[in-house]
Amino acid sequence: MALYNAHAGKPAARNIRNTALFTVLLLFALATIFPIYFMIISSFGEPVAAGAMDYKIFPSSFSLESYKFFFQFNTYTWRWLLNSLIVATSVMVTNVVFASMAGYAFSKIKFRGRAVTFSVMLVAMMIPYQVTQVPLYILIVNVFHIQNTYTALILPGLVTVYNIFLAKQFMSSIPNEILECAKIEGCNQFQIYFRIILPLSKTVLAVMAILTFMDNWNTFFWPLLVTNSMDMQTIQVGLKSFKFANTTLFAPMMAGATISALPMFILFFSLQKYFLEGVTVGAVKG
Amino acid sequence: MTDYAKPIKRRKFNSDAAWGYAFIAAALIIFAMFTAYPVVSALIISFQQYKPLGSEFIGFDNYTETFKDSLFWKAVVNTVVYTLLTVPVSLFLSFAVSILILPFKKRMQTVFKAVYYLPAVASGVALSVVWLWIYDPMPEGIFNKITAFFGMGTHNWLGSSTYAMFSLVLMAWLSSHGTSIIIYLAALLGIDGSYYEAAELDGANFFQKLWYIVVPCLKPTTLFLLVTGIIGSFQVFQNAYLMTGGGPDNATTMVGLLIFNNAFKYFEFGKAAAQSLILAAIIAGISVIQFKFLGKDVEY
Amino acid sequence: MKKKMRVMATVFALSMALTTLSACGSKDDAKSSNADDPNAKDTITALLPPVSANFQSNFEQMAKDFNAKYPNLTLKIEPASWEDMTQKLDTQVNAGSPPDIAFIGSDGISKYVDSGMVMDISDTVTDEMIKDYDPAPLEYMKNGKGLYGFPAYMEAHAIGGNKEFMEKAGIDYKKVQKEGWTFDEFREAIKKGVVSENGKTSRYGFVFATAGVTSKDYLGILVKSAGMPAAFDKDLKYAYTSKNFLEVLKDIRVMIDDGSMPKELSSIDAGKRWNMFLTGQTMITGKGLAGFERSAKLNNEKLKNKDASAVKGSIPVDYVVLPVPAFAGAQAQASVAVDGYVTFRGTKEPTAAHKANVVKAANFLSSGAIAATTNNELFVAQITESSRKAAESMPVDRDADNKAAVERMLTTAVPARPDIPTDLGAKAIKLEDEVIVPKLQALIAGEITPETMYEAVKSAAVSAFGEDGIVKD
Repeated sequence: MALYNAHAGKPAARNIRNTALFTVLLLFALATIFPIYFMIISSFGEPVAAGAMDYKIFPSSFSLESYKFFFQFNTYTWRWLLNSLIVATSVMVTNVVFASMAGYAFSKIKFRGRAVTFSVMLVAMMIPYQVTQVPLYILIVNVFHIQNTYTALILPGLVTVYNIFLAKQFMSSIPNEILECAKIEGCNQFQIYFRIILPLSKTVLAVMAILTFMDNWNTFFWPLLVTNSMDMQTIQVGLKSFKFANTTLFAPMMAGATISALPMFILFFSLQKYFLEGVTVGAVKG
Repeated sequence: MTDYAKPIKRRKFNSDAAWGYAFIAAALIIFAMFTAYPVVSALIISFQQYKPLGSEFIGFDNYTETFKDSLFWKAVVNTVVYTLLTVPVSLFLSFAVSILILPFKKRMQTVFKAVYYLPAVASGVALSVVWLWIYDPMPEGIFNKITAFFGMGTHNWLGSSTYAMFSLVLMAWLSSHGTSIIIYLAALLGIDGSYYEAAELDGANFFQKLWYIVVPCLKPTTLFLLVTGIIGSFQVFQNAYLMTGGGPDNATTMVGLLIFNNAFKYFEFGKAAAQSLILAAIIAGISVIQFKFLGKDVEY
Repeated sequence: MKKKMRVMATVFALSMALTTLSACGSKDDAKSSNADDPNAKDTITALLPPVSANFQSNFEQMAKDFNAKYPNLTLKIEPASWEDMTQKLDTQVNAGSPPDIAFIGSDGISKYVDSGMVMDISDTVTDEMIKDYDPAPLEYMKNGKGLYGFPAYMEAHAIGGNKEFMEKAGIDYKKVQKEGWTFDEFREAIKKGVVSENGKTSRYGFVFATAGVTSKDYLGILVKSAGMPAAFDKDLKYAYTSKNFLEVLKDIRVMIDDGSMPKELSSIDAGKRWNMFLTGQTMITGKGLAGFERSAKLNNEKLKNKDASAVKGSIPVDYVVLPVPAFAGAQAQASVAVDGYVTFRGTKEPTAAHKANVVKAANFLSSGAIAATTNNELFVAQITESSRKAAESMPVDRDADNKAAVERMLTTAVPARPDIPTDLGAKAIKLEDEVIVPKLQALIAGEITPETMYEAVKSAAVSAFGEDGIVKD
């Protein structure tokens, strides 16, 4: 039973429908993927400056020079990848934990000040980072004196309003009856959260994990601000070193962008399971 | 924006409130330190002529100056136009794609999802380089070749005020839906099969199911994507910064770019803070309207 | 219910405000510099971008060499990329804790002077240090009476031509290199450079990168040779309301209307036009930097070796340095970029000893062997005696005529203007960003006339500087 009709006994109708859908999806996919495709093929070009770059749709030569260049350019390249991995993974874990807890409370537990607190959080999210960076920098560097540490890189991102909001919206559609049943059976709120809410929210938590990881993997402004030695930089900050005063080494930059996109792919495919198995409420009910 | 969900049980469980506070405690502390504190600082700074060696309070000067600045209003209009053109369309595209993906086998779904998700993965700077190349103004540019093929002639996509905004919008349409698609799909998978079952017994067709089951069930998700999408779009400046520099003739100058310039180029930090807060107030106003129309969470 | 919420919100906001205040109170600088003992241990921090390709990989060696020279001092170098450098520095300055030294363009000094966070070192530098620097670039590091660091190089903004094409078009480029040219001569020359078949242009006479913010460079370089060396004249009146400004705008339009420059000019970026130059799609390109000679040579070498990584469709090119033509009958003056090591201070008053140490470090970076290596790599002239001496032993493969042309241009370099007050400077920058650049983009795209743009600039200038604050001629 699903949104689509099964067209039981009419395979022809189903095939025609699926072919039509497939064509639409494919066309849209091609348009979407083109820039990425270009990024990847040009990463196999020679490490030359952007002005000397030969832009073409089909590569005429294939070389791994840019990848070699990327890893030899600086002795810290591996370190940058590791730093990014440490930061993004920590932030991903804390976000999933704290945002799911807060999301549950905001969506399903009634307490005084709930609406106000949540609204304040949302409003704060609407203020552009350009003006909040300086006070935050003062806090981390001039008050806490923790610049150039993993703590400084991780701390401000421990949990984001975006993720709390995401968790809250998803959890609000979990039927209240299930929670009430659990209560009647004597579960306290923590048990409800742990035994019912978390399993039912697997999909959204997987989504949250990958989005958070991606966001922190790609962020560069904050790491740029709080790191001041090459060994503490993250890959995104390091990538920028390929831009010199009047030239950009185009292919190595693209190679770097490709390499830095890889971990997210791995994460994406390893969490794939959770995206595909919709956790149905019925399954838990029984 | 008042009550989001009905209380689970009235009054009886007094300990519920305590649990509620406990659950949000960690998030709240982190929020207070790393989000609220900087925001309150920015609020104070917005009334100052900010100087690192001692700022001066100047009352509402930063605000009145901003309100009188015609470029600010032009930027607001540009930002609103950009948002209106991008957010709803992106949302609709992601919704459509995630619905279209559903009938396929899991393996196929994975491939499509990965493909649509890709642009979100790549760094924005690397992608903007590619887009600059796509929008090459000369007749041999990729996009120009396409439009010429369809008899629409060649254009100076990023360099003329007629097309610059459109070019940025098109770029957003084709590269900003990876996240929304994944979130929509997650929500779609969460819809209980029994709803469809019941609908089918009533003889509902595809579109009826879509309208009466999927759309209402996805309302909280849509609200989330709409609100966060608009917030993101209002703060956007990177594309304009990298692709057009705000021009020509300020046709693509966004509020985000002005704030960025004030904070980092002109060193008018107080003004940047004031403009940010005005921007936040505008977004908050729009969000309140959205919550009014979509805010009633789905009840079962 | 509603009322209670409001109370809660107030309490919340108040408690936030309190944390703000308490956090502000504990601001302090962690710099340890005890007393005024010049031999006490001290650390100097420097925020440096990749000035040249090999610059950042030499950081460790630089720090080591510095420590060998001054055993009590440690130089801590923070790397940053070009684009984000300003943002990082600005955040640090706004937070009251900038590095001791940062490598920035000299045009950025005035905004930091206004914030009070740059350190005037005029009372600390020794005569011996000052004598080492050429006076013209050193002037650029001044503002008002203060000296805020040392220059690293002075790069002339020229244009560059393809030798073969210019010979074919009958342009006596050697004469131009020596004597310069007027706009009318230039206009005729680039007209002759155009090659077109069936109404389709396959080679333009002149292509300048003007996409996005680079349009600022274009106008900036041209107006220098139109009798407007700075945004303000000697009496501190805003200069871009002069008739000559309108002349330059008309000339910008005329070169496109002649067909000597592509009509799509408004979105040609630096990479694109260099590609056009190497593939023979333009005879002259701008802006031209000295290092381009090397890039062209590199590509020629690849073409000779049939290396697949040579720019596709490129041809062998001899890069010729050319001066910018003189506009509106004025004297040509070379627009220059002076970048250097600027000295900063924290919220606390720096001690005399620390200040002296910072000066030592800045001087160490901007002269001698480090400057020699970096400037050689960039193909730019040495601007200190000590680096000239150090560079003698370093081989460079530079065209003698080009070198001479650059040196000749540097003699006509636009002088520094430390007398322009910071608030006037800031207003001019804002006017440039918000009116001049956007209007110029529209002008190049053919959407407005030179007169419309001129009027827009004039009225913006009047509202910024008053009727008496602008040049009227």
